[in-house]
Amino acid sequence: MSTPFALSDAANLFAAIIVGLFFGFFLERGGLGNPHRLTGVFYLTDFSVPKAMFTAILVAATGLCLLSDMKLLDMSRVWIIPTFFWPQLVGGGIFGLGYLISGYCPGTAVAGFASGRLDALVTMFGIGGGTLLFSICFPSLEGFYKTGDMGTVTLPEWTGMNHWVLLGLLYVLAGIMFFLMERYERRTVRSLADVKKTADQAMHAAT
Amino acid sequence: MHKNTFWSPYLSGIGIGLTLLASFVLAGQGLGASRAFTVAAGTALQGVLPAYTSTLVYLSKYLALSPFRDWTFVEVTGLFFGALAGVLIGGGFKIHVDRSASMPAGVRLLSAFGGGIILGWASRLARGCTSGVALTGGAQLALSGWVFILAMFASGFLFASLFRRFWS
Repeated sequence: MSTPFALSDAANLFAAIIVGLFFGFFLERGGLGNPHRLTGVFYLTDFSVPKAMFTAILVAATGLCLLSDMKLLDMSRVWIIPTFFWPQLVGGGIFGLGYLISGYCPGTAVAGFASGRLDALVTMFGIGGGTLLFSICFPSLEGFYKTGDMGTVTLPEWTGMNHWVLLGLLYVLAGIMFFLMERYERRTVRSLADVKKTADQAMHAAT
Repeated sequence: MHKNTFWSPYLSGIGIGLTLLASFVLAGQGLGASRAFTVAAGTALQGVLPAYTSTLVYLSKYLALSPFRDWTFVEVTGLFFGALAGVLIGGGFKIHVDRSASMPAGVRLLSAFGGGIILGWASRLARGCTSGVALTGGAQLALSGWVFILAMFASGFLFASLFRRFWS
């Protein structure tokens, strides 16, 4: 047996809705429909986004490496995200700005709207408008849009490293990052508790 | 007082990672989001200005199928209902404008719209967003995903101080 399954169109759309249901459920349950939480990483107040994101990437990457090594998944039939280096670098940078200003990204805006946030709905209309704006600008952007075409290159191919070695390296980097975030959060919580204790003592002394 | 019933982000991340893996196995592609907005907005524009829309070459690949036959549009529809199920189970559904205490609601809606325009524009330039390029490409160990992730976080940290008042 080899996957991905060659599903009929109807079954493929059924898979889309099921996958979407779980994606939305886990996003919302992780608190990722809340723009304060989503932008918190940039103000060192909440690390939910990097924690959830890098955990998700490592889980799925490990699964992909396992399934393809066991010949249960044919990676040549999986749609690999192609690299267009310069537009993705610049696009990612501009995207970060939109994320800071709106407090969402496209998927989390939908999760935010589902929890009753009207600002998320307005962001969704903005995103739709932004993609139309890009379509209108496209003739003058087409040259840049196609620069840095590196095809479906992956980090193991690009660096010449074995995929398990590279994955191991990502585990170590994510582990260090998670450790530092947890330590930072504990310290911040403790210093907030200290502030409260001091304030309580001052109040007690005053009365 | 609103009780925080959210899961640990690590647990949520494991769930998202397994969902992403299931998507590769079932459908041969990862998760997406921004494509659905292009399909929806393109279809709306086509309804209002059909002749003009047909001159926008870039949109043609998003208008090839009706939205309800477009994989990513259907997936994002599922995302909405999945998140709704989450908020109904966990509690915390409330119709409101989420903003910092110092920001008037009108200003917040303007910044949300403007930020959204930037998100939509940038995700088309990058060929996807946090879902389609960062998560999906990242999990494939594709260079594209990691370039986007680094650029997005670098830009976020670089410009964060300009928008501090939006969030505190």
